[in-house]
Amino acid sequence: MAVGLEQEVKNEAFVAGFDEAASRALAGESAVPALRELREVRFAEYRAVPLPTRRMEEWRRTDPARFPFERMKRLPTIPRGACAPHAWDDLFDVIVSVEDGAFDIRDRSGVLEGGQVLVAPLEQALREHADRVKPFLEKRARAEAPDKFEALGDAFWNAGFFIHVAPGVELERGVLLRYRQSGAGGILIPRVIVAVGERSRAVLVESMESPDGVELMSVVSREFHVAEGAKLQSTTLRAWGDRTVHLAGDWARLSRDARLEWITLNFGGRLTKVRFGSDGAEPGANAELDGLYFASGEQHVDQKTLQVHSSPDTYSRLLYKGVAKDKAHSVYQGQIVARPGAIRVDAYQRNNNLVLNDGARADSMPGLQIDADDLKCSHGSTVGNLDEDELFYLRCRGIDEASARKALIRGFFEDVAGRIPHECVREVVHSQVDAKIG
Amino acid sequence: MSEKSAEQVLADSEYKYGFVTDVEADTIPMGLNEDIIRMLSEKKGEPEWMLEWRLKAYRRWLKMKEPRWANLDFPPIDFQALRYYSAPKKRAEAEIDPELQKTFERLGIPLHERNRLEGVAVDAVFDSVSVATTHKEMLKEKGVIFCSFSEAIREHPDLVKKYMGTVVPYTDNFYAALNAAVFSDGSFCYIPKGVRCPIELSTYFRINAMETGQFERTLIVAEDDSYVSYLEGCTAPLRDRNQLHAAVVELIAMDNAQIKYATVQNWYAGDKEGKGGIYNFVTKRGHCRGRHSKISWTQVEAGSAITWKYPGCVLEGDHSVGEFYSVALTNNKMQADTGTKMIHIGNHTRSTIVSKGISAGESNNTYRSLLQILPDAKHCRNHTQCDSMLIGPLCKANTFPNIEAENGSAVLEHEATTSRISEEQLFYLKCRGIKEEDAVSLVVNGFCKEVLKQLPLEFAVEAIKLLEMKLDKSVG
Repeated sequence: MAVGLEQEVKNEAFVAGFDEAASRALAGESAVPALRELREVRFAEYRAVPLPTRRMEEWRRTDPARFPFERMKRLPTIPRGACAPHAWDDLFDVIVSVEDGAFDIRDRSGVLEGGQVLVAPLEQALREHADRVKPFLEKRARAEAPDKFEALGDAFWNAGFFIHVAPGVELERGVLLRYRQSGAGGILIPRVIVAVGERSRAVLVESMESPDGVELMSVVSREFHVAEGAKLQSTTLRAWGDRTVHLAGDWARLSRDARLEWITLNFGGRLTKVRFGSDGAEPGANAELDGLYFASGEQHVDQKTLQVHSSPDTYSRLLYKGVAKDKAHSVYQGQIVARPGAIRVDAYQRNNNLVLNDGARADSMPGLQIDADDLKCSHGSTVGNLDEDELFYLRCRGIDEASARKALIRGFFEDVAGRIPHECVREVVHSQVDAKIG
Repeated sequence: MSEKSAEQVLADSEYKYGFVTDVEADTIPMGLNEDIIRMLSEKKGEPEWMLEWRLKAYRRWLKMKEPRWANLDFPPIDFQALRYYSAPKKRAEAEIDPELQKTFERLGIPLHERNRLEGVAVDAVFDSVSVATTHKEMLKEKGVIFCSFSEAIREHPDLVKKYMGTVVPYTDNFYAALNAAVFSDGSFCYIPKGVRCPIELSTYFRINAMETGQFERTLIVAEDDSYVSYLEGCTAPLRDRNQLHAAVVELIAMDNAQIKYATVQNWYAGDKEGKGGIYNFVTKRGHCRGRHSKISWTQVEAGSAITWKYPGCVLEGDHSVGEFYSVALTNNKMQADTGTKMIHIGNHTRSTIVSKGISAGESNNTYRSLLQILPDAKHCRNHTQCDSMLIGPLCKANTFPNIEAENGSAVLEHEATTSRISEEQLFYLKCRGIKEEDAVSLVVNGFCKEVLKQLPLEFAVEAIKLLEMKLDKSVG
């Protein structure tokens, strides 16, 4: 469907450094034929997708040419190696660390032993558990065709993981996925496929970080499959350093009566463009989507969310709240999509923005795309500065202006921050917010 | 042309305005080139500067690409297969047709009530030319200029030269450039300083000839401390072929001036299969140049096979106010991509947007808007409410707002809902013995109330009737 500016398709179909030779080189790094085949298929898909241009509605505010692919180097497949322990390790069942060119999987509570839960690099999963991973490679969680960068992530990932929870299993403390990169100039491309079996319950926390001052890039593509009656609770914390460039494309597919609670926290990075969709693919699916973002300095954060309802009787609720400060530019693009026949859908989308000073900019593009009747879809969006009356109220009570502002901004974030299930993540959010308020 | 024409915005679901008036027409050959433009300009007896402007616009248009970004689906338009000028030879005959009387009766408006519309001055545009303008003398006494655009070019060239194209330049977009090159007529209003225009001004547009495009241009200038309320209505005959209507409307409000602009658009929308109908591709923009100026758009879009327009306000003067109230109803296979643009440049500028979309049948109704707060615009305020109602399982409703805030002091609120016409409300009304169709129209009226109350009373009554008739048979 033609939404937005005329689409101009460029002929050169490759992102710099991600061409056929690179694909072959990457495939050659593995001895698993199934993986080589998979890469070939995904490369063909990637090749067919046109490069985004600013003429496309979604990219109008974030020039795709700003992504410094030509200055960066694709990293080879990340091998298994030792990773330093982390304070959060004790809080989870399984910890997957990707740290400076090595990954490590640690099982803290023995959940992997019974085989009910599988957490493995994609290559190993393809070799040893083909029956479990194959269905989720064939059936995509995406409700829409991937864009160029999502397709790039599918084809060129160098850190791929498969997480599978068998039906009826409760993975109480869940899986922690940590990405930490400190070397300059590399492109880390994680690909994560999560499949939560029927009536299972899983928790997933992802944390992404890099030191300030180091220029590097990451391109993430993820697909979540939540089976009938299952529940997935996912938290994504992006706390990249101030020169990291980040691209991500995430999709979650919800089967009958499945529930997804997904909290996205975008704080770090110089340039961030993330795209994320949930698909209520079967009746009864229920998606709760929350997000926080705080763009300061010269940060540019562009987020697109899609609440797709391809089936009747599905529900979604989204709340994204963000602050723009200094010379930062935040973009929120949201779309509720009700496909033909998706009746009795209930969908809500809200985006609240604080613009703390002149020179900072917040763009908000909530959207509804409704091809069915008998449903209820709505969105709300606000942009404004801190409430003068609230500031005055606090100052009347002897609170100095800086503290009052801080309290109000923290308060603004609190309705989402309060929903973060993990204390440790909440603490990072609070410290990031405090540091950014300055 | 008499006062009754303001009532002609009415039609019913069978489109009573689909008749053809049999008048001898003065036309020029089909197609578009510089010679056609020269011929058109000569027919209208235009001065050299006007022709030059048209040609400049035409040359610019040739370099432009037809935009395709809207959420609309229509076959390519052959701009050479259109006639760019058609005028009735005997002007007095225009519009006086017994069928109109029947229509009024069917709508339950006794003809003696036309007297109510005494307070409306009408400029009637039939195909390419203005056939009559009423109440001119009375307005003249007040210093108000209200005449056809052609007359304005002849009689008030300085004013036209000063303001034309300053809000919508011919470089603005593809259809604005086309309009600048070939526009044939339209209305011109000039309200001098300190004058409150005593009556409503109105233009009634009628497309009659076949294969004719209508390209009218309206320019309203309100000087300091003045006020004007302006209404436009449109109808066209039933035809199998699509016809193009590409108008440009420019409003200019100086210090403390206020312009209210209301449209009840009821172009022929095509039949149930989507055959025929008008393509309504219009550029409308108001420029609040003065401090405390105010421009208010009200539109009831009930016709046209395709409606594609975004009446907007450029809020330049400090404390200026822009308003947009819209009801867009689509039925059968109609398509609408409409909304507004509010560009806040001055400090303390405020805007209000209320949009009600109703989609029935297999229609596609899209709301699209741009709300922009420029970096130096302090303390701007916007409130947007945008609701869609769905009637029937095959219709589509989309909402694509764009909100860009580049100043920290702005306070912007946007809310949108899409839902089916409430079963509960219908049930409640039906329980009380109200017929289903009446119940639907009651609910729809309530849904649109905020917008309809912005219309002058007579127009509001007629707009409600129009909505009712358009929805007739779309429920059940």
